[in-house]
Amino acid sequence: MTRYLRLLRLFTGATLSAQLEYRANFLGAVLASLGEVGVALLGIGVLFGQPGTDTVGGWTFHQALLVTGFFMLTEGVISVFIQPNMSKIAEAVRTGSMDFTLLKPLDAQFGVSTRHLNVLRAGDLLIGLGLIAYAASHLTVTLGGFAGAAVLYLSAVVIVYCIWLALSTTAFWFVKTQNASELFNGVFGAARFPVTAFPVPIRALLTFVVPVALITTVPAQALTGTLTPALALASPLVAAAAFVLTRLFWLKAVASYTSASS
Amino acid sequence: MTTLPPDAAVHVRDLRKSYTIHEKEPGFLGSLRAFVRRQSREVEAVRGVSFDLAPGEVVGFLGPNGAGKTTTLKMLSGLLHPSGGEVRVAGFEPRRRQSEFLRRITLVMGQKQQLIWDLPALDSFLVNQAIYEIPDPQYRATMHEFTEVLGLSGILKKQVRKLSLGERMKCELAAALLHRPQVLFLDEPTIGLDVNMQESVRAFIRDYNERYGATVILTSHYMADVTALARRILVIDRGQLVFDGDLARLVERAGGGKTVRLQLRRPVTAAALAAYGEGVKVDGLSAELTVPRAEVSSRAARLLADLDVADLTVEDPPIEAVMAELFGGKEAVRG
Repeated sequence: MTRYLRLLRLFTGATLSAQLEYRANFLGAVLASLGEVGVALLGIGVLFGQPGTDTVGGWTFHQALLVTGFFMLTEGVISVFIQPNMSKIAEAVRTGSMDFTLLKPLDAQFGVSTRHLNVLRAGDLLIGLGLIAYAASHLTVTLGGFAGAAVLYLSAVVIVYCIWLALSTTAFWFVKTQNASELFNGVFGAARFPVTAFPVPIRALLTFVVPVALITTVPAQALTGTLTPALALASPLVAAAAFVLTRLFWLKAVASYTSASS
Repeated sequence: MTTLPPDAAVHVRDLRKSYTIHEKEPGFLGSLRAFVRRQSREVEAVRGVSFDLAPGEVVGFLGPNGAGKTTTLKMLSGLLHPSGGEVRVAGFEPRRRQSEFLRRITLVMGQKQQLIWDLPALDSFLVNQAIYEIPDPQYRATMHEFTEVLGLSGILKKQVRKLSLGERMKCELAAALLHRPQVLFLDEPTIGLDVNMQESVRAFIRDYNERYGATVILTSHYMADVTALARRILVIDRGQLVFDGDLARLVERAGGGKTVRLQLRRPVTAAALAAYGEGVKVDGLSAELTVPRAEVSSRAARLLADLDVADLTVEDPPIEAVMAELFGGKEAVRG
């Protein structure tokens, strides 16, 4: 275990120093973060900007802003921690450099999931946390609500990671999978609004098929104390099940690895 | 010499690997057709290969392109699951990829790199030190030794992308051997390197083999690598082992004769030399011809008696020629 922690530190150090090599990239990343938050705020602004609109789908402005905060935070988690690693899986399979990962006496899933960080997008994390803090300051949040939201958000991150890993793992068979992550991004865009803002059929889709609801709406509900016990339980269970299933899927993929020829 | 467990050998019995490959006609229409309905075909890359290696043995693994060399090495290192047969490396079944197994082997591929592109090689070494849990004193000792044998000083702190191909390969080797593996699979470790660089890579491999008694399987398309390092040669062709023995025997088996090189005092025509052997080449005052193995001494004596010869040497034909003979003149011995 300490070995894996030590490796995390080394990987982080290496990926940070590698990014410092290219300074111009930094400006682009800051602009991307600002664009992202602008779009998210614009969306919610349009919804609540209609005269006489106090609530959308039963959510007040600050409650909805909370969802937007969780959305931005998740965007940050994806851009900083998840996407940089997952996008390299397909590349490693295509070029055959996956060989080196598989030859190391180290859990290969850990290896492909932790090697890279895109620290330049860390701004998204701060913006997300800032929005959540601002929105929460206008709402009554209990300590229990805060703890619940933390646990449920952690489950949400696990779910997001599993979806990305499962999509990226298909690269072992299909080699190019960029469109699969585009698919995720497309659906995930819906998470910037509370799911209850959508018509019932879409709400069901976003809760049960693609668990977008669990990622942003559920932690926000926990924070405001409006969460039903069923959803509170569902999120960690879905996360655990998703983790086990993607693990099995990953192992199957590795077994059928064909290793691009040298 | 560090003592290694006695099971450090490679054991291969009836090893097989088949792939399903997709085929496509050339051109856009062909691509479109392949996109809609894939044509697949079963290809047997390795068809029943068997051999055993003793601990500390160095073997050259030769064969034409696509003969199954790399596929075999990948099965031996656990990257590919065999379709059939039995493999044991250092007492382990490679496909299970246990940690203990992976710590004992390494696979170096001349055409792939594991070093972090934007950072100095030293950073990659530190990552490998942590992955393989190499204790600090052993890490320092190994680095000291590699730096000396490979001449790494001065290049370890430069970003990998700024290194020359040769420098990068040296660092790749160091990264791959940092954990002191006892079985080395080297797939074209000198590809693209200049002669000096090839020589220092060879010297490093020889030194490592002697120092740690490591078992080495080496593929290369530079024959000098194989003749300099390996006594035993395995030749694979179309997925089957067609030769297993020492280099001299390979030359003998390929038939052919010996090469006689002449340095003459007076010019001679190729036609005049044709009476003494085959494959006559004349270049000014130097000439070269091939004579049957059994008649080397009698032909040489006649050449010396009949012509004004300044110098005469008898050599085994270059291994490229031997391989060309074995594989019927196809492009021989490329990885």
